Amino acid sequence: MTIAIKPTASGSTIEQNGSTILTVDGSGNITPSNNLYPKVPAFRAYRNGNQTISANTWTKVIYDTESLDNTSSYDHATNYRFTPQVEGWYYFSYGISSNGSTSSYVALYKNGSNVQSGDGSSSGATIFGRTGSGLVYLNGSTDYVEVYVNQSNTTVVCSTTNSYFTGFLVSV
Amino acid sequence: MTLYEKITTLYPSLTNEDFYPHTGTIMLQNDSDGRGDYIREWNHPTLAQPTQEQLDGVQ
Repeated sequence: MTIAIKPTASGSTIEQNGSTILTVDGSGNITPSNNLYPKVPAFRAYRNGNQTISANTWTKVIYDTESLDNTSSYDHATNYRFTPQVEGWYYFSYGISSNGSTSSYVALYKNGSNVQSGDGSSSGATIFGRTGSGLVYLNGSTDYVEVYVNQSNTTVVCSTTNSYFTGFLVSV
Repeated sequence: MTLYEKITTLYPSLTNEDFYPHTGTIMLQNDSDGRGDYIREWNHPTLAQPTQEQLDGVQ
């Protein structure tokens, strides 16, 4: 491998094997030839259409549509779960809406168990949102997360804007 | 008829509060995998967990 630093009219370039990888202008600003940021696992899934569930039963939310899944780690077809292949702490945010339930809760499940509850309520209302967020450690191989809902009403209200399940790597 | 409805038919004294997350003593679950509802936890202090035969007998 050859590394060369070459002056230009307004600064300099750094070349690797004859190709420019960094450009430095006269003020010291550095411009990389490729994105400096590595691709970290990130996804966003949602559901466009209500989901019918049994009352008072923790039920996995079927987020069956993806708008982002840059490492193909979210299963939107069968298990509706995120299983990243990079170990670390992940931030998750999730939500649904409920209509007329006397109780409604959402929770993030890790490997099949409730690891973090979102908000919930035991008071009746018309349509209201239920959301949750937080950091969860995943081992980068077998650990997975899913979203469950529990409410007294049998209709989970979902649309492109009020149902979402997102996550991304924060720290290794 | 859902599992919740069968259980509350067998035990009319049960209320929604018995199934509430975090405070209830009975936890029902559905993994959206086609296998339906099931009893994940049953910690009711006086009522015994119904058998599958009892549940199947509820009309």
